[in-house]
Amino acid sequence: MFLLKFALLNLTRNKRRSAITVLAVGIGLAALIFLWAFMDGSHEEQRENVTRLFTGHVQIHAAGFAKKMSAELVIPNRPEVLEKIKSNPRVVSLAPRSKCEALIGTTAQSKGIVLTGIDLDAEPLVTDIKKQVKEGEFLSGGEGKEILIGHVLAEKLEVGLGDKVVLMTQAMDGTLAGFAYRVKGVIHSGALPLDEYSAFISLASSQELLGIDSDIHEIAVRLRSRAEIEGFKKDMQTVLPSDSYEMLAWNEIVPEVDQWASYSNAIIQTMLIAVMAVIAVGVMNTILMSIFERTKEIGVMMALGTGPRQVVSMIFFETLVLEFIGIILGIGLAYLLVFHFQRVGILMTGFEDAFAESFMSPVVHPHLAFHRVLTSVKTLVLITSFISLYPAWRAAKMEPVKAIYHS
Amino acid sequence: MALVKIEGVSKVFKEASLPVQALTSIHVEIQKGEFTAFCGPSGSGKTTLLNLIGCLDRPSEGKVHLENEEVSSLAQGKLATIRRRKIGFIFQDFNLIPTLTVRENIEYVLWLQGETESLRRQKSKALAERFGIGKLLSRRPAQISRGQQQRVACARAIIHKPLLIIGDELTANLDHKTGAELMDFIKKLNREEGLTFLYATHDPIMMERASRVVRMQDGRIIDGKG
Ligand SMILES: Nc1ncnc2c1ncn2[C@@H]1O[C@H](COP(=O)(O)OP(=O)(O)OP(=O)(O)O)[C@@H](O)[C@H]1O
Ligand SMILES: [Mg+2]
Repeated sequence: MFLLKFALLNLTRNKRRSAITVLAVGIGLAALIFLWAFMDGSHEEQRENVTRLFTGHVQIHAAGFAKKMSAELVIPNRPEVLEKIKSNPRVVSLAPRSKCEALIGTTAQSKGIVLTGIDLDAEPLVTDIKKQVKEGEFLSGGEGKEILIGHVLAEKLEVGLGDKVVLMTQAMDGTLAGFAYRVKGVIHSGALPLDEYSAFISLASSQELLGIDSDIHEIAVRLRSRAEIEGFKKDMQTVLPSDSYEMLAWNEIVPEVDQWASYSNAIIQTMLIAVMAVIAVGVMNTILMSIFERTKEIGVMMALGTGPRQVVSMIFFETLVLEFIGIILGIGLAYLLVFHFQRVGILMTGFEDAFAESFMSPVVHPHLAFHRVLTSVKTLVLITSFISLYPAWRAAKMEPVKAIYHS
Repeated sequence: MALVKIEGVSKVFKEASLPVQALTSIHVEIQKGEFTAFCGPSGSGKTTLLNLIGCLDRPSEGKVHLENEEVSSLAQGKLATIRRRKIGFIFQDFNLIPTLTVRENIEYVLWLQGETESLRRQKSKALAERFGIGKLLSRRPAQISRGQQQRVACARAIIHKPLLIIGDELTANLDHKTGAELMDFIKKLNREEGLTFLYATHDPIMMERASRVVRMQDGRIIDGKG
């Protein structure tokens, strides 16, 4: 108690200096925590967007389909499998799909793409492909052969709404199948895999094209949340044995997002250490100055019998108090900032294109996880405490006689 | 048995560009209950010697014994423990800790010793009343007079009942009347409680009150070895 009071008294001797140090600690900490929340928020959004855009949370195939993508690898026991998945309580919705590699072309030229056959009612419940159709319309399900293509692909093929394109692919029986389709809608998703290398037709039409009857290649599943993915996979292990089926989480299909997140995490952690070290040096400087000004007083305290260890703990305690006040300030500030921007969002004007490339909308909503705060504070306390041992040690090493007669 | 025994002690300050020989082959003994003045011209080594006796500094040569324990070669931590238990310092310019109240200044050593708050309060209150500063306990050093500050410094030096009290020029910054009062007060403590008191002074009036006078010159004791 006395130690705390004494530390506070000593810190209030030079109120301005202590206040500046506390502010430096607080602002530095708040800035880092906020930065972290900002990055976490944008990664969170990337993840959400990727699953919304086209992967869903989990995809189920026949074993080996992801690698080979050949038409005959249809999902075995389809009706039973669909039923089992539907009845899992974690599942919100599912969409059956066909999928194959195809050539799309006009008389002038052709391109290789992934052709997906989608269930027109089920697909919008799992992904937002329907919403990405910004020109023309979504597939109608009528008799006519309709196709959706990405806008980059449309530009390259020099086709527009209503124009005819020809699809060629290898059917289940190994023969080459081809049909003409009319462009019904153009997709602007911001993600190249969709905008340049994809085309969508109705599931029924693709089944006809591929000669696979009612069979399907893929089931895209939306769960209540991403957190349920592991649980869902476990639930399904026995129903979908790995010798006949494969189950892929969204981040196995698009690993870039998680890789990007851990990359920027590593950067923030490096910055964390660097910034904290700078702050710690500031704190150390404050304490060093305050010790210097009190040299004589510390000498007197030593003469009265204060041992080197007690001097160390007194000065160390001062550092801790200074740090503690700064940390409280920093955490408070960080939460205020995060709460504010969570509500209004941070508009990244000028970065829209780059953001779209990486599955992000240009409005970022920071997301603050408590363990980020904890890590930041722990790093700060560790580094500051370590660096501040130096002034404490210097003070304790002073010879009392010299300190007392110091002027 | 002598309370303090100084054997062949020399002190050289080496930090300056030229080494300074502050003390040369000092032999002296202090008995329990003495009231001894160290006098001599400026620079004769009084402060240096008192600091060695008070375990505040270590000699370059020779031995210092306190209650038969050789203290001249102990580490700073051990010396601090001895000062905390056995020595009371009263400094020339009082050196109260400015951020602490009068009470906290007086209680400081008890706090170092780990005494409980209630015991500290009880002792500091009783002592402050004896010194006539009982009403000033919650003030800060800057809010009391120099004479009062000196009493606080005295109270702080004796609250833990040390074996030995050391006062370097302790009345030099006080007017004559206040200085004389203070000396009388300490003399009373010396008589009543058998406190050993050593002080350095230039002032002839202060020397008169001593039961023994040690005269120094050029780092040597020239008279009063006892
Ligand atoms: N820390 C130091 N470094 C170098 N020389 C010192 C130091 N302390 C004292 N001296 C020198 O040692 C000698 C003795 O000094 P000391 O302070 O003991 O004398 P003193 O008798 O107390 O003098 P005064 O009456 O002026 O207080 C002096 O020559 C002084 O300059
Ligand atoms: Mg002196």
